[in-house]
Amino acid sequence: MDVRIEQVGTTGEELVLIRCREITEEVREIESFVKSRQGSLSGVSDKQQYEVAVTDVCYIESVDGKTFLYTNDRVYETSSRIYELEELLRPKHFLRISKPMLVNLMKIQSIQPAFNGRFLALLSSGEKAIISRNYVKALKEALKG
Amino acid sequence: MEFKRFVVNKLILFFTLSTLITVTVALVGSAFAPDERFGYGTMLLPIKYAALCMLPTFVTFSRRELSPKAMLFRKALMLILIEAVMMIIAFTGPEIDTDRPEVILVIGGCVLVIFVLVHLFLWLKDSAEAKRLTLDLEKFQQLHG
Repeated sequence: MDVRIEQVGTTGEELVLIRCREITEEVREIESFVKSRQGSLSGVSDKQQYEVAVTDVCYIESVDGKTFLYTNDRVYETSSRIYELEELLRPKHFLRISKPMLVNLMKIQSIQPAFNGRFLALLSSGEKAIISRNYVKALKEALKG
Repeated sequence: MEFKRFVVNKLILFFTLSTLITVTVALVGSAFAPDERFGYGTMLLPIKYAALCMLPTFVTFSRRELSPKAMLFRKALMLILIEAVMMIIAFTGPEIDTDRPEVILVIGGCVLVIFVLVHLFLWLKDSAEAKRLTLDLEKFQQLHG
């Protein structure tokens, strides 16, 4: 796929156009990347495509090779992989707290101890997410800035 | 868990155990043999017992994070092994009067109490850490919110 960048000046409309023969997974990933840079993620819920504001997402989980976005009241499936979202959403205060899960630090209400050196994050949605022992150090560093 | 962190945790456990064993020996000793007098060598016994009781704790080591169920199983195994170690010490060493069955029961009970106390201390330590993390999180959210 060829990549072209064209300057439109200060008055022109900014647009990312993907011209493709077929809408493949790769195309969806590029779309998802561009949208996430703008503060939203593409997600499918009840067979409908939605734009989900990154700030509304509580956590992102990978289950059986599929990636899901969880907001306070809905779940969306996204075509992006969790490792891609981890890189992409780091500046938006998302942090990996276990192998299959990224959490929005702005959506954690409190942290509680769990069994065997793990911690439990209580989210604004009322859900609880396990902070794996291996990711506690990264969490401390992220919070200290 | 990385081995270095595992060893540091075990060192903390060792000193906690030494303290608790010293207190237990003092309490049980004053109940069963209040008039007994010992030499300086006796002061090393809690350290010796704590060091020997540390050996079974290595059954909880795993490079990958264990599930709560697997960890619970290993903790139960650890308790059984610690009880076995203490019984071997009691029956093979000259320090403990194993002719009195109540002494054996008290040793078994004390091991269980110390086991519970150690885990209670670890829980309190994690609880304090969770509080610190929650405070750091609140500061983080105020700064970036």
